[in-house]
Amino acid sequence: MRKTNAVYEPDNSLKMGYLSLCKDIVNELIGNRWLIEQFFRKDFSASYKQSFIGVFWALIVPIISVGTFVLLRNSGLFFTGSLHIPYPLYAVLGMASWQLFSSGLTAGSNSLIKAGPMIAKINFSKKSLVLASSLQGIIPFVIQLTLGIIMCFIYGIVPKWQALFTPILILPLMLLTYGLSLLLALLNGIIRDIANALNILLTFLLFMTPVLYVIPGSGMLSRIANLNPLSHLISVPRQFIIEGSTQQWVGFIFSSMVSFIVFLICLLAFHLTETRVAERI
Amino acid sequence: MNQPAIQVTNVSKKYSKTLKRSMLYGLADVSRNLLGMRSHSEKLRKDEFWALDDISFEVNKGETVGIIGSNGSGKTTLLKMLNGIFWPDKGKISINGSVGSLIEVGAGFHPLLTGRENIYVNAAILGMSKEEVNEKFDSIVDFSGIGDFLDTPVKHYSSGMFVRLGFSIAAHCEPDILLVDEILAVGDTAFRIKCYNMMSDITKRTSVLLVSHDLTAVSRICKKCLLINHGKLEFYGDTFDALNKYSDLLTNSGNNIAGITQNDSRVSDFTLMSAASKSITEIQHSQPMTVRFSYNLNNIKSARPLFVIHFISNDGTRIGHCISNAAFALSAEGKAEVTIPKMSIRPGVYHIGLVILDENLLTHYFICEQMATLRVTGRTITSSYITIDSKWEFK
Repeated sequence: MRKTNAVYEPDNSLKMGYLSLCKDIVNELIGNRWLIEQFFRKDFSASYKQSFIGVFWALIVPIISVGTFVLLRNSGLFFTGSLHIPYPLYAVLGMASWQLFSSGLTAGSNSLIKAGPMIAKINFSKKSLVLASSLQGIIPFVIQLTLGIIMCFIYGIVPKWQALFTPILILPLMLLTYGLSLLLALLNGIIRDIANALNILLTFLLFMTPVLYVIPGSGMLSRIANLNPLSHLISVPRQFIIEGSTQQWVGFIFSSMVSFIVFLICLLAFHLTETRVAERI
Repeated sequence: MNQPAIQVTNVSKKYSKTLKRSMLYGLADVSRNLLGMRSHSEKLRKDEFWALDDISFEVNKGETVGIIGSNGSGKTTLLKMLNGIFWPDKGKISINGSVGSLIEVGAGFHPLLTGRENIYVNAAILGMSKEEVNEKFDSIVDFSGIGDFLDTPVKHYSSGMFVRLGFSIAAHCEPDILLVDEILAVGDTAFRIKCYNMMSDITKRTSVLLVSHDLTAVSRICKKCLLINHGKLEFYGDTFDALNKYSDLLTNSGNNIAGITQNDSRVSDFTLMSAASKSITEIQHSQPMTVRFSYNLNNIKSARPLFVIHFISNDGTRIGHCISNAAFALSAEGKAEVTIPKMSIRPGVYHIGLVILDENLLTHYFICEQMATLRVTGRTITSSYITIDSKWEFK
């Protein structure tokens, strides 16, 4: 058992100052590495138990959704902008990053409620629980990325060696996912409308983000897409795989900074309020 | 340094009665905290009440303390605050050492995962390290007695196995302070005895706080007790005194709860009498007593109603009864006198209930679980309720 000396008082954290709070948070997450691993395994194996296809659902979902858009595009109902790589490949690589964000956020924001009675009965690190859930998109991401690479070879495009930077390039997206998960998990604990609203919001966001289409040269959508941090965080890893470089450095660095700030604020907010939410789950 | 393991100073906790307001207040408090403002949690807002009010006590290292009180008195809330799940709205709690809890066993189990997988996840949630789990794994499996089912998903476990595995993991945590909530009544008898033995082993090394309605268990395990009544600390001290105070509280409360009646059946003047025909609320174990009451059974169909007097323990268990004879017809109105030659229920406080039903035991005409409260005095020796008349010879 961990040795702990604790003092519980109302508004305790406020007296400590933000710097020592950050230290507490980092210590908590590092000290709970094993717990995070266990939560991650639990979520992962639980979601694919009692299922024949198991983790290969990660392949079926993008194939069907990308297939639908390929069909729409080929019938001229959906205009994607001009591309110099085959559309299915573009869409699969985009969807891989998108689901890393969307499935992580969905799982993360529901994690506290799903754990319900446990939260009201055992005192454990809730940040670790949300983290483990918000990382749920990683394994499907790896599978879909592999699918994308295989498709590259099928289309006769050799992926650039810079594709090896992918793990680093998706880090800002993952920070954003974790940060927003913390915030939504917290709010979801108090008002349950969040889960429903999130589903609608994610669908809306998918179309506001150039995942399945190319940013148009001008117009409303172009402006939104350029300001949307997600569009850079998702496009840049894709460009690195296909082209080995990107023209969106400014947008990417700006978006990464936004992600980091969002992450930091959400983490602090969560830390300051988690016990208040525990009593309302 | 000889610091107490737990130090609770003027702690209060409030709850909101309605869900909507709880949501609003939650949002307000969270936003205030975020903006670095105090939440002014010491004030009551509309629809809020104090679930715990100004509690102070200390528990020293290695002490075992019971927490007793009727349902809804705030025992579990106190335990959750000591665990750090909820924070107090007023006052301060200092904990010196690691805290483990046996609050609800198996709370984190995932039904689709196997016993083996769940042991790892649950142990991690309870705060064990990887090395600790690996080291104690065999002992956990052994104690739980799940044997061959280790690699079966826990959803196929019997409820007993489920609880046993949960208890076994929690009991292997070895914290400095252990919080136990009504947990010892799990599993079958053999396992219960194992739990008790484990508990008495744990209490040698650990400070234990035990919430229980099983007063015998409390009096055996704990030397000291906290008595909580309606969120206030009534008494803290020697277990024997605490149990007596608790008995007083129970005797003085809730005597006048109306029964459920049908067709206007009425019972009145329900009194307990001693052998000397004096009205009593207390009786010495193995002494005689009499119950008297008047009844009015107008408008009921059965000509031969049955009367049952129940003795009901604190946790609601009916532990003994006296039943009338339905062989003869009764007049619709009258008085009854029930003689009990020897009060054979073990010392404690009991509610006395009265049930009137038809001779087929199907229709209830009158039910009241709290006609009176009786305190049986004497020395508690056993954990079973009834002393059966017996003659012993040793050769």
